[in-house]
Amino acid sequence: MDDRSLNLTTSFIDQIVVPGDVVLDLSSMSNQTIKLGGGLRQDCDTISVMKAGKLKFSKPNKYWVESSQKRYVPCVEDTILGTVVDSKADNFLVDIKGPTLAFLPVLAFEGGTRRNIPKYEAGTLLYVRVVKANAGMNPELSCTDASGKAAEFGVLKDGYMFETSTGLSRMLLSSPTCPVLEALGKKLSFEIAIGLNGRVWVNAASPSTVILVSNAIMNSESLSGVQQRIMVEKLMQKFQSSS
Amino acid sequence: MEFVSPEGLRLDGRRPMEMRQIRAEIGVVAKADGSASFEMGNTKVIAAVYGPREVPNRSQQISDQALVRCEYSMANFSTGDRMRKPKGDRRSMEISLVIRQTMEACILTHLMPRSQIDIFVQVLQADGGTRSACINAATLALADAGIPMCDLITSCSAGYLNSTPLLDLNYVEDSAGGPDVTVGILSKSDKVTLLQMDSKLPMDIFENVMQLAIEGCKAVANYIREILLENTKQLEYRRGT
Repeated sequence: MDDRSLNLTTSFIDQIVVPGDVVLDLSSMSNQTIKLGGGLRQDCDTISVMKAGKLKFSKPNKYWVESSQKRYVPCVEDTILGTVVDSKADNFLVDIKGPTLAFLPVLAFEGGTRRNIPKYEAGTLLYVRVVKANAGMNPELSCTDASGKAAEFGVLKDGYMFETSTGLSRMLLSSPTCPVLEALGKKLSFEIAIGLNGRVWVNAASPSTVILVSNAIMNSESLSGVQQRIMVEKLMQKFQSSS
Repeated sequence: MEFVSPEGLRLDGRRPMEMRQIRAEIGVVAKADGSASFEMGNTKVIAAVYGPREVPNRSQQISDQALVRCEYSMANFSTGDRMRKPKGDRRSMEISLVIRQTMEACILTHLMPRSQIDIFVQVLQADGGTRSACINAATLALADAGIPMCDLITSCSAGYLNSTPLLDLNYVEDSAGGPDVTVGILSKSDKVTLLQMDSKLPMDIFENVMQLAIEGCKAVANYIREILLENTKQLEYRRGT
């Protein structure tokens, strides 16, 4: 029984799974604690998959499903890009591409007091950090880091914001630097803010640079590292030859 | 009229237990959070899913689970004669309700309280079995949107004409006035979430026809799994290591 369940697990780890797949049989594993991350749920004696994606395992006992979607599931300590929808007495209502709107307290800024509350119109783009994300409650955001400093959080002026999938955002934020950003950074100078909720903001001196960078990032979704570099090279050549 | 010839062939050349050709594609509506198109023979439908997102009407939100809304509509050009009122009529309302109840059975709504999931299904070409094609398309669209589901739901229809159980009726066979059994099952656990029938059938024959429809559902489930695996593999980002 143990062999079969081990075979079951090892055959699914790092494999693509779809909703309904049973990845672990608990009846044959005794006295172990396993931790389940996103995309998995416990159904009596089995662990089954809720979302389509790749099943990952990290020692000693953590399992989760990595997937890439267009909508974001709020998670504590994530840095994201939100757009202000409305402002109330105590909070700003911010859209973060999640199931519900998020609240940004008006005092959650560095040196924020009742006297200097910022005035944000609907549509303002903010780079924020998720402070609380419980199911059933609106998530809470903050424009300061854990120690209360501003640390790059706040309004993003000018530039261009576009939406991508959450998987692409994670790849752009991975370290070492992902190939597309490295290749672009060697030739062009631009400013970029990446939100884990699938929003990316790009700013540069000239509009053509902004367009080039945005298109390169949007194209790199399903390309491997080498393909990304080749794609950026081709875009640059077209750009040089036309300008 | 003869729907099954003496040699055992139906009007379109299929055997009684043969399904029409199925074809599915994921990600056909770029703006939607999840979308899929599904074809069963000549029946083509597109499903688009939006959500989970904020409920615009505070009075409608449910405090401990997500609100699932579904709208079924047929394009004016989907049937032989151009339709005048593609949605809002009795049949569309009924099918919308049926699809909503079926999908609610598999979506884990308690994980997304006070939010809303919209499923829009549009029939582009109707040739019988639109209900089943819509449910199959909605399953793929929900999986594409990353909405947590406990299982994949698939659906298929079967009928009984000329004393033969027939799988996957097309429009001509459907409008013959014989029984039409539509079944929707959860693919892994084999639990029935949808069972509808028009007309009348004796109990023992009904069991055969329902079993045939369930076999059809399982065949669709295999295909849907393959398509979903293939699509997820392609979408999976590469990290360079």
